Order: sequence, then structure tokens, then C-alpha cells
Amino acid sequence: MNQPKILIFACKWCGLIGADAAGKKRISLPALFRVIPVECAALVETDAIIRALAGGVDGIAVLGCHIGGCRYNNANHTAIKRMELLKDLLDTTGIGSNRLLFSFGTAHEDYQFEEIVKNFFDELVLLPPIDPWL
Amino acid sequence: MLEKTKNIAKQILEDKKADGIFGLMRNQWNVVQPHVFEDPAELDALVLEPKWLLAKLAMGILRSSPENYKLAVICRGCDERALIELIKRNQIEKENLLTIGIACSQEQAAICLCDRPYPAKLDAGEKVSGVDPFQDERVREFLIGNDKKRMGKWANVLKRCIKCYGCRNSCPICICDPCKLEDEVWVQKGVIPAEMITFHLIRAFHLSDTCVACGACQEACPVNIPLLYLQLSMRQTLREKYGYEAGLDPEIKSPVLSGAFEKPDTDREYPAWINSLREKDES
Amino acid sequence: MANITVFLCRCFGEIDSAIDFDLLREELSKDTSVSSLSIVDSVCLETDIKKAASQLKESKADRVLIAACSTLLRGNLPVDGLIKEGVERHKIGLVDIREGCAWIHGDDPEGAAKKAKDLINMGLAALRYREASEDMCVTVNPDALVIGTGPAGLAAATSLAKTGFKVNILERANAPGGMLRLISRCYPDNEDASDKLEPYIREVENNPLITFYPQSKIASIEGDTGNFTVQFSSQGKDNSIQSGIIIIATGAKIFFPTGLYRYGEIKNVITQMEFERQILNGSLKTKKTVFIQCVGARDRERPYCSTICCPISLKNAARIVENVPGGRAFILHRGIMTPGNTLEKYYRDTLSKGVQFIRFEEEQPPQIIGSDHVESVEVYDAVTGITRKIETDLVVLSTPLVPNNDNTRLAQMLGIEVDRYGFFSEIYPMHPLETKTDGIFICGSARWPVASDQAILQGKAAAMKAVSYLRQSTIAASTLSRVPGLKSGHACVDADACTGCGNCVAACPFKACHLEKLEGRYISTVNMMKCKACGSCVSVCPNGTIQIPEHNYRMVGEMIKRAF
Repeated sequence: MNQPKILIFACKWCGLIGADAAGKKRISLPALFRVIPVECAALVETDAIIRALAGGVDGIAVLGCHIGGCRYNNANHTAIKRMELLKDLLDTTGIGSNRLLFSFGTAHEDYQFEEIVKNFFDELVLLPPIDPWL
Repeated sequence: MLEKTKNIAKQILEDKKADGIFGLMRNQWNVVQPHVFEDPAELDALVLEPKWLLAKLAMGILRSSPENYKLAVICRGCDERALIELIKRNQIEKENLLTIGIACSQEQAAICLCDRPYPAKLDAGEKVSGVDPFQDERVREFLIGNDKKRMGKWANVLKRCIKCYGCRNSCPICICDPCKLEDEVWVQKGVIPAEMITFHLIRAFHLSDTCVACGACQEACPVNIPLLYLQLSMRQTLREKYGYEAGLDPEIKSPVLSGAFEKPDTDREYPAWINSLREKDES
Repeated sequence: MANITVFLCRCFGEIDSAIDFDLLREELSKDTSVSSLSIVDSVCLETDIKKAASQLKESKADRVLIAACSTLLRGNLPVDGLIKEGVERHKIGLVDIREGCAWIHGDDPEGAAKKAKDLINMGLAALRYREASEDMCVTVNPDALVIGTGPAGLAAATSLAKTGFKVNILERANAPGGMLRLISRCYPDNEDASDKLEPYIREVENNPLITFYPQSKIASIEGDTGNFTVQFSSQGKDNSIQSGIIIIATGAKIFFPTGLYRYGEIKNVITQMEFERQILNGSLKTKKTVFIQCVGARDRERPYCSTICCPISLKNAARIVENVPGGRAFILHRGIMTPGNTLEKYYRDTLSKGVQFIRFEEEQPPQIIGSDHVESVEVYDAVTGITRKIETDLVVLSTPLVPNNDNTRLAQMLGIEVDRYGFFSEIYPMHPLETKTDGIFICGSARWPVASDQAILQGKAAAMKAVSYLRQSTIAASTLSRVPGLKSGHACVDADACTGCGNCVAACPFKACHLEKLEGRYISTVNMMKCKACGSCVSVCPNGTIQIPEHNYRMVGEMIKRAF
């Protein structure tokens, strides 16, 4: 698979500002990712992730704020617990938990966004495509 | 075990502790059916086999009965766990429910791959130790092995699905009306067998922290898809990480629901993939 | 079928140099929901806004999509301008094609053009399915409530009263003053403690806007921002008051080091508070005093530094050396904490007065020697490596401030949180003195151990923050976002579909959901004053009953479908 598609859910505070910072620095990135801004990483429903995987997206990234740094009183902590269970389910069915990436960050770590996207692309290239049972 | 259960049930009806006993009856055409026994004389026709999940039916009975109607349910281990989960979700009032617990035999536990074939409140029957599902050959086929092979295996079984919704209808925990699986946004209508990944993964994930491993979904499936195996690794993670098992205590809610830090908060360890910058050679 | 006006911003060439606008124009002309497309040089200039708004109203288009830079996503000039002209917030869609597309894919024009097209399609889909959430407006009670009358509480109450608001004060003891009543002098300027309190106490007695309730015990606190109802009893009589905000200044208590350094077992080993009491009633008799720092602090059980004990020892050691003829003082420490200009100078002055400082390590604490009263202290000096034996007639232990016993109970009543030590905790980030519930503020040692000058500062700051709530006659729930203008709606429950499972109640970080029994089933209801639209409830709801209308699941599903 040489053209993996990534869907990124970025939390409005740290995730999106980090992504913006990468844009302001005009860092060059591969073009096959789309960013959906959400209020908090806790708002990302697992059903939306599963729908995206079924719809042809190869990898999903959820960017949230650091633990202890969520302005909604640690809502990102709930999100991470849920994602751990989803990773189990993806592993069971063989889709692979490396298609789901959850990252904590802060708004001024702009090099982080670049690293995440590029590393994720490199990883997804090595994975086999999802079985065409869809 | 059958005689003891009949005596307990008769006693409950005579002491007026409950208005009805919910169990299985062998009726006049020699067919087993669920029945609410309100007259102690009827209890002669009580049977305990085959395994029949009564939790969802009990919920329906209590809903359509007057408000102070008390029901005593003859339940196996998985049934009792399902009833506790329904209490947790405010579908059944605790005061209106009594249980008469019966234990399953070792053969039944081997068929259901159950590791807890007895209810917490056991009234009749002998406790047997269950089986560990991860030691069973059929389970290991589907859960162990490399990614590509496993995905192929699951693809082969899920291809057979005819979207009869039997798994969702028979699951004691699935009580949502309207259900997300009937919504166009998630599952397309009229397309078979496409988009199975959405249907099955959404259903499996919604049950992640409430599945009581009763096996009703598997038994209801007309094409023999091993739906129970989807839940096993999530149940194990909950048990190992948080010490939580669904259906044991009506007061303890699932740990995934709260964002609060479990005390002490600084010692929480996160798996390696959760960090800001990942090393390239970490795989 | 919505009619959407689309504005594509060229940003003076920044965007259309990397993305082919002709392609975009062609694609958008095929979309039937787009009623008009304008390509503008810059969306953020004033003239373009007015023209845009009037175009909008002229063409009867329902919604507007602006594809430009990412500063718009923070709510900026074009968006504010359109809202002022009468366009509703949920009808404005924003797509970032500059930082998100043109500036990072400059070397891949084909990919950039496709990405811009996809992003705009996603924006159009989002705009079509977005809905508006409800809002709630409450009248604000213009009275304030201050709990506690240490220096922090007194400063807060007097500031509020001087600004012109009616203030009720609840105090546990008989008279105001808090812990400052029990000490003689304050550092760093050796001011008399009662002199420091005097102007505030006089204000409390004389100002008609302040009502003081001594000996009060709180029974319950209910209500939300702008309308709190507090039931309490004062001097045996039950009472209840309403207030718009609450300031918590309940302070902290001293830690008694029973079992450490033979405290309680042997005479003449006392705490700093008892030292002050002996000064106040004139019973202090000593010629050689040894002060031991960090007793019960900076150890495994309480790994924090209590900030005030080192300057207190400096103050008391200097007094011994200056006022007792031939008096000597030793301070045994594990690191003197005197940050800042004033306190550093204070430390050096104390050094020059002849007070001796000896450093010891945590693993080798000083030993108290004596049979029924203290005779000497043996300490291993960590700097020189010599064990010294100091003859002494009084050992003073510096203990930290610890939270009050009923902090947890009070926090539960108020709906705020306590941190791992038991002090009231602030909301993160960058909102000092504010808590999880809007309108409840914490200051002084209730929040973290501070000395009286800092406490007074915090009290005044809390009062000023409170004024920003009290001076409004009504508050709309959508303005309670702490960052002006950016609260994106409230969660909303579809009452027919709710199963009453209680997941949202358990998952909400602000406890904004609760279950109500209607017609025999339980239905979840959202308290809009507490809801901050974080979405924790949305992701745990099994059938999508509770949603945030501006970001509902239909919208997300459609966006995902059009993402690639």
C-alpha cells in the first residue's frame, strides 16, 4: 500500500493549534491527510473511527492535550481509556491496532505534528490493506 | 437440583415474597417454554434445561406489570450477570427482582466457554470451576496468529452474515430503541453482505464494558459466526487493567466511563504508543 | 436543501499560488447546494464583510462557507463582523485551506488541489447538517458570599463592599481574623498582626453593605452560577441566603508533629504557633533556641514545601537574637526557601544578625537529647561532615500547613474538586483562583499555603474576578466558556430515544447531566449552566441520544464520507 490515507481528529486547543503551527512554519508534508477539528478528544466517537476505517481510510489519528492539561477536567483521560479498548478490538479482528494513533501534545510543540504525520505515513505503508470484505 | 429449586420457588410464592416465578415449563405438548408461575401447583412442570436467557424477557415482564409487582427469576450465572447489568442501567428496579440461582454443569461450561458458570447468589446445584476460553482450540484459531491470517479468518466468517439482527435482538444488554445499527449514517440499508465491518465492530464495541459473555448472540446466529470471541480480549483487558468485570456488582460502574484518575494518580502507566513523539524504529 | 454562499479567499496570492482555483471553481459549480461562489482577495478586510453580509441577505442564501486561513477558526474579524450583521453563528462554516493546505503542500499542486476540494466538500457537508443548540439566560443575584475571614477573606469582602456590592460573610469562629489573630508579628517587615488586620475589621464593622455571621456552620449549598442558595446556622439560629458568587477563603490548619522529634513526649519541644502564643501572653523564656525546619513536610507523606515556614523561622530567630540579652538561635534546615527579592534580603539580614544555619539530610535527622526536658540537640552537619552537639533550652519545630478536615465535604457541596493533598484545586489552564464551577473562587491558604501579604493579594484578585459576574444583570449559559465567544453550544438530549442508562451522568466531567423519572422511565437532562460542550457524554451514549447539535454524528458521518 503506497498511498495510505489518514484522517486526523484534532482537539480544538492543543491538537489544532499544533497543526496550525506546522502550517505557519510552512513545513512540507505529504498531502494525503485530512483534519477534522473537534472540541475535545473526548468528543471523537469510536463509531466514527470504525466508519472511517470501513470507508477506505487507512489510519486514524486523534490528537489531544496532555494528561492533566485538558481544560475540560481530564476528559481526555476518558478518551484514552476508550481508545485502549478499541485497540483490543481492532487487534482481535486482525485490522491491527497500529491503524489507530492517539497522541498527547501541547500547542507549541509544532515539530510534533510533523513527526506524527510523517511517522504514521511510514508505518501505514508497511501494513497490508484491509481485507476487501467491505 | 430440580427438586430443591421447586421447593424454594414454592416457598417464595407461599411466603408472598414475590408475585411470580419466572422459569422454564414443560407444557402440555411436551415443549419447553418460558412461563411465569403464579400458582404453586403449576411448579410441578418446572424444568431447568435447556439453557435459556431469561434476562431480557424478565425486563419486558416487569415493564408491563404494575409498579409493585415482584418477580423471582430462576437464573444461571450469565443470566444473573445480565440482570445486574440491566439494574445498573436503570432498566429494572432492584426492589422488584429476586433471583433463584442455579449452577451449570461442567459440560455446559465447556460448551459455552464460560469461566464463571455459577451465579454469585447460588441456591441450588454444585459450583464447578469453569473453563478458560483462551485455552480452547477454537478460540485460539481466531485470536492468536499473525495479523493477515487473522483478518482473513474473520473475513471468511463475517462474509456469511445476512444481517438478520438476531445477535442484537437476543443480547440481554442491547436495549436501545432506536438502535444505531439501523441508522443510515452508520450501516447502509439494503446492502448485503457489504459493510459488515461497520455493523459488527460497532456492536462489539458498544458491548465492550457490559458484555457478560452469555453466548446468546452466538446461539442466535443462523450462520454460526463466533460472535463471542470478539469480546474476549476486551473483557480480559478490563479485568487486568482495572480489575473490573461486568455484571458482578450493581454499584460499581464501568471504569471507562469516568475521567477521574484512579488513586494514586501519578503512578498510572501508559502503553508505549501513547506519547507525543514516537521513535521511528519502535514497532 | 440548503443554499450556501461560498467565499474563497485568495489571501493576496498566498493561497491561490499553491492551489488551482479554476479547478475548485469548476468542482463547486457542479454542486447544487452552492448558490453562489465569490473569490475575494482577502476576507478579513472590512469592506468585503459588509458586501458579503449584504450579498447574503440579498440572495436569501441560508448559510455561508468561508474557505480561508486558520485564524478564522479562532473566531476573528470576518466571523464577528457577519454575526454583528445578523447572521447566526451555526450558519457560518469555516474551512482552513491556508495553514492546512496551501502552505504545507506547496510542492505537490495536484495533491493540494484535491485536498482543498475535499476540505471544502467536508465543510459544505458540515454546514448542511449542523444545527443550533439552545441557550439559557438567568438573572444574576447581585449579592456576594465570602466564607472565611482570614486575611484573604477580609480583603475579598472589603474590596467587594467598597466596589458597591452587598457581601455576606460566614465565619466559623467568634471573631474575624483567622490564624492571624494567633500570631504576634508578620514577616518581612515585622508588622504587628493585629495592626495589619485592623483596617479590614473596622471596614467589616462599619460598612453597611457587609453582614457578618459568626459561629456559622454550613448545612447545604445548592444552585448554579449566579444563583447559589446556602443553608447554614449561625449562633444556633438557622438561616439561608442567596448569592451570585461564592469566594472560599477557609484557610488551612497547622500540622501537629506528634511522634516526630519527641514532640508531646518531652517538654520544651513546641511548634511555631505555640512559640507565637508564648510571645503574645508573655510566657516565652529562652536564651538558646534551636529551630528545626521541614518537620512533616518534604517527606514521603507530604512531598510539598509549605512556603511560609522558612521566613517564619527567620523572623522568630531574629527576634530571639535581638530581644533576649545574650540570646542565640540556630536554624537546622534542609534548604532555606526564600524566593524573591525581599525574602532573599531578609535571609541575608538574618545571617548578619548572627543566626547560625546548619544543613542536615533527610536520612539523618537531628536527635533530641534530654530526659524530661530538652538539654541539647545533636545534628550531623551535611556540609562540613561534623556532628555537632548544640546546648539548648527550647526547640521549635516548623510544621507545614495542611488542609482543613472538612475541605472534602465543602467541595462536594459546592461541586468543585480537591487535589491529592486536600487543598481546593483550580481549573486548568491559566485561570488562577477559578474552579470547575463558574462563580466559585478560592483564595488564600485554602488554595495553597501562603503568608498574609499574598493572601490579601489573592483575596482582592478573587473579588475583582467576582465583580465581572456580579455586575451583569443576566448571564447567558453560552457565555460561560472562560474564553470569550468560543463556547460551541450545549449537549442536547432526544427525550424519546433516551434509555436512561446513566452513562452520560457518569462520564460528564462537570456533573452537568442527571436522570429524571418521567412516566416510569428515566430520561437524562442537561444543566446548561454547567455544560461546557466537551463531548464526553456524546461518545459514551449507546444510541446517539445525547448530541452536541453543532457537531452531531450525522455531520461527522457525512464529513467522513467526503474526506477522500
